[in-house]
Amino acid sequence: MNLDQLVTQLKSDPSFMQNVTNWETLPETEGIYADLPEEMDERIKQVLRKRGIHRLYVHQAESFRLASAKKDFAVITPTASGKTLCYNLPVVSSILQNNDARALYLFPTKALSSDQVSSLYEMIQALDVDIKAFTYDGDTQGAARKAIRQAGHIVVTNPDMLHSNILPHHTRWVKLFENLEYIVIDEIHTYRGVFGSHLANVLRRLLRLCEFYGSRPRFILCSATIANPVELAELLTGREITAITENGAPMGKRHFVFYNPPVVNRQLAIRRGVVNETRNIAEQMLKNAIPTIVFAKSRLQVEVLTKYMKECVRDPFGFSGRVRGYRGGYLPNQRREIEHGLRAGNIDMVISTNALELGIDIGSLSACVLCGYPGTIASTWQQAGRAGRRKDTALTIMVASSSAIDQYIIENPEYFFQASPEHALIQPNNLYVLLSHIKCSAYELPFEEGESFGNVPDTGVFLEYLTENRILRHLENKYYWMEEELPSGEISLRSAKTENYVIIDITNPAHHRVIGEMDRFTVPMLLHENAIYMHEAKQYQVEKLDYDACKAYIRAVDVDYYTDADLNVSLHILDELEEKTLPNGVGLTLGELRVSSIVKMFKKIKLDTHENLGYGEVMLPQTDLHTVGMWWIIPASLSTRYSNDDLQGALLAVTNLLSIVAPLYLMCSPRDISVVYQVKAPITDMPTIFLYDAFPGGIGLSEKAFQMQSLLLEHALQILNSCGCENGCPSCTGPVGEIGDYGKHNASIILKELLS
Amino acid sequence: MANLLNKLRMLDAEPKRQAHKEETSAKKTEGCYRSEAVFPLSTFCNRAHATQAVLESIYGCEFPKNATPEDILFLDTETTGLSGGVGTIAFQIGIGYFTQDAFVVEQLMMHDYHEEAQMLQILASRMKRYSILCTFNGRTFDVPLLKSRFLMNRMKEDCFPDTHADALFPSRRLWKLRLKQCSLANLEEKLLGVVRDDDLPGALVPQTFFQYLKDGDFTPLLRVIDHNKQDIVSLAQLFYFLCKQHDKPEEIDQVEDLLSLAKAAEKQGNLQKATKCYRLCAHGSTRADAYRALASSQKRQGHADAAIKLYQAMVKRGDDPIHAFEALAKLYEHQRKDPEQALHYTRQALLLLSEPSLFHDPTVQEQQIALQYRYQRLRRKILHASDLLDSR
Repeated sequence: MNLDQLVTQLKSDPSFMQNVTNWETLPETEGIYADLPEEMDERIKQVLRKRGIHRLYVHQAESFRLASAKKDFAVITPTASGKTLCYNLPVVSSILQNNDARALYLFPTKALSSDQVSSLYEMIQALDVDIKAFTYDGDTQGAARKAIRQAGHIVVTNPDMLHSNILPHHTRWVKLFENLEYIVIDEIHTYRGVFGSHLANVLRRLLRLCEFYGSRPRFILCSATIANPVELAELLTGREITAITENGAPMGKRHFVFYNPPVVNRQLAIRRGVVNETRNIAEQMLKNAIPTIVFAKSRLQVEVLTKYMKECVRDPFGFSGRVRGYRGGYLPNQRREIEHGLRAGNIDMVISTNALELGIDIGSLSACVLCGYPGTIASTWQQAGRAGRRKDTALTIMVASSSAIDQYIIENPEYFFQASPEHALIQPNNLYVLLSHIKCSAYELPFEEGESFGNVPDTGVFLEYLTENRILRHLENKYYWMEEELPSGEISLRSAKTENYVIIDITNPAHHRVIGEMDRFTVPMLLHENAIYMHEAKQYQVEKLDYDACKAYIRAVDVDYYTDADLNVSLHILDELEEKTLPNGVGLTLGELRVSSIVKMFKKIKLDTHENLGYGEVMLPQTDLHTVGMWWIIPASLSTRYSNDDLQGALLAVTNLLSIVAPLYLMCSPRDISVVYQVKAPITDMPTIFLYDAFPGGIGLSEKAFQMQSLLLEHALQILNSCGCENGCPSCTGPVGEIGDYGKHNASIILKELLS
Repeated sequence: MANLLNKLRMLDAEPKRQAHKEETSAKKTEGCYRSEAVFPLSTFCNRAHATQAVLESIYGCEFPKNATPEDILFLDTETTGLSGGVGTIAFQIGIGYFTQDAFVVEQLMMHDYHEEAQMLQILASRMKRYSILCTFNGRTFDVPLLKSRFLMNRMKEDCFPDTHADALFPSRRLWKLRLKQCSLANLEEKLLGVVRDDDLPGALVPQTFFQYLKDGDFTPLLRVIDHNKQDIVSLAQLFYFLCKQHDKPEEIDQVEDLLSLAKAAEKQGNLQKATKCYRLCAHGSTRADAYRALASSQKRQGHADAAIKLYQAMVKRGDDPIHAFEALAKLYEHQRKDPEQALHYTRQALLLLSEPSLFHDPTVQEQQIALQYRYQRLRRKILHASDLLDSR
């Protein structure tokens, strides 16, 4: 059966269709083309023609035009629209004109960079010119590094390497910095939150050095579709960015199916497991030999699904190579081999984590099955984009898990298919992040009095602070570095603070192994002594928490209870940044908060029956988080309508709803924000709901939430209304047991009032 | 603005120390610190050995024609750290050179950051006069760091001498075997008999400088300067001692050094010197190594008879007999065309390898497999030869 036949069959299969909540068919679109730009080097034109490219897609031509006009720009088009040429053409063309010209490519992952270099090689080889393109990352050999510094025209690397290796040793890269013409950053929508805030500062450092060496590179950026690509690009680069949004690439017909596994327990809103449903659907693909990619959300899921699928195809000799798993943790060679097998068509099905989501060339498959909602719309489209050649039909089936966010998406297809509501947010001026990078930058080149770092107006204050702490020496009109160590060594771009706790499994006394990491703020909740800690569906008990050494020792156990730490949070306002009272009397504030949390005890709760089996004490210090938050102050006119208990239940329900909604719009993981309520908040003296960034210094989430607060409330209400449960369930307001019998009802009224 | 400063102060959960308001104006000095120390020529006894030929044989690259000791500039720096990133500064630079009648150590130090450029200018003007630069580990550390500082001060690098003789690498080749550790401190102690008293440990150098910047007390820095001065004197002495060892191997009394020297010469393709050194150390603890090297060198040069004699001598004395038997087997099979004798030697080697104490060594197992393979091949060869005879 081919894909079209399978589509017809699925559509007429009632047992499949009864679980389909939405079947979207996106029509085939024609390509929009433009002639090869006249000013393009004849040699490049010949190479393109030889490859059968006589015209460019309109966005590729526009990129070339903007590059020639010396603009900084961003290309915002879907996966597989030929974005690579948008930057390779101008870059190669500038090197052909001036052999000294240099370009720097930044990709978020290593695999992606090596893939891009090989596609560059092909073009350079076809041109038969001496242009050198290299990847420079942790895997690059010592001897090769020297050659790259001297002679590499195009250096392909990642932000971490730029931060820790290239910038602190910039004098070895004189050629690159003196002649840098282009900085290419692909997949910029992946640089959000902490990582993006760091990257913006790494780029400030880079540009500062370029200025020292007398170059002024231009930016070429690429992004998947999000709500605010230009805003993100401008925050990252500090430059004015021109956007290219018209996609000229043709697209085949695409089916996008939302599949919600049937409910097995109405009361607890439990559905059939997402892995098993995915397995059934994937099996149909495999039986019909339809090349398919399955995306799973964790490494464990990948392994489980791969095992199931391999069983389906195993031949009498035990060979099952037509099905392969793919995830981080596989060796690079093994990965290359799988990628090659996919391109060559030797592999019928690959089951992958999001490692294959970004532009690695794996050829084109026909179908894509998503085991759970990938977390953002942008990711979902990228994963779906892995299926479908330019002209053929493609099928994507998204199987929802029972998590609240999955259920929201699957029940609200219009949210998904309308213009993207996702805002990629960063906060380049987060104090912690900014201070770290000003240190790095001061190490790299002494600051002069009056100089500003990027567009930070108060650079001088930071420099004074560092001088006060004897990290810098202020002498005549300059600030000199006066420490022995390299500051970049202790700053990781992927987290706000380096202080992470490692989790060590000591079950096997001969072989202790590190199985995970946890940030400082979550540790008291989940890793206090005697806590039952879950890791890859296995139970462990925390034997010892060495709080000062940042280590937790755990041992595998098999018990019939779980633990629930009792977190006491108190909030203090450090600064009110913006404040308003809405016409309906609701007070709204954006401000800086100190969130002090302390865990003093935990409950042991029996699995299944949820009986309380007892308490335990926790002796851990309080942790303080300085961050940015926003809060709704509920007017007395509304709150006095309820008894204290009812108000508490209703506020908890609203809080739960907001924690589902906010990540959808703020494009962050649910762990990145916290939503809490206080029936009588000491700082406002009124019932108040707080939403704050779960990162020191904030990463821009609360500011955006403050701007779009009514949208958040509207969608919270929508989830509440569209959920089929009677009085609340884990997919919307939280279970009745927690919010009370009238919790859902009252929450609905409160939300309406807040919106009125 | 004050508000931001307060917030920054709050970032530190627990304030580590009360920040002192300290003097941040430049130290009132007339330019960077400079000092000169003069040592009599008699301190450096091996200077005559540093001829162009010797230097070229040590470094395997061309040296300026008719180079004299006066053409060499010795250099060592003290830095604000060892990380080697661009923020590391050489705050003190020591250079040493010979005049007609003395060895001069000239030391420069910046009192504060603003004097760096001036210090580098003086260094540049000195370096221009010399064609050879001599350092200890300067190839990977001091010179790249200084070049980086030149670049940061927008100064040209063309003043650096064209030829760079780094004493670390040849020292390692020569003394690693015997002395294990090849830091300048260990070499000067073991080879030159230098004893330093009250020497400042190198690891404390950066902190000493930073402390001076904070409190303005120059006295502790005098220890840095002394340390650096001794480094330069030791470097020059070591360098000439190195030249002497290469020039006059026959005067070396340590067999391990001779063996190291022989290996280095062999690697460079100087077979004559290598053979000479191997002969000189063909006794004592290095006898087996020397014989093996000599034999294999004879073999490579096509002198099968000489090689056989050497291997037989090894067997006789019990010096690495397994290797000797195997080598003999090869020689008898391919050079002497005597498979029977080759088989005999192979059998001998296998016999030695069957020693039970060697069973678990994986390299022994590999060796065994190779020998067994050889054994069978030789057997076949012999059988085949006799078959041929029979058929005739």
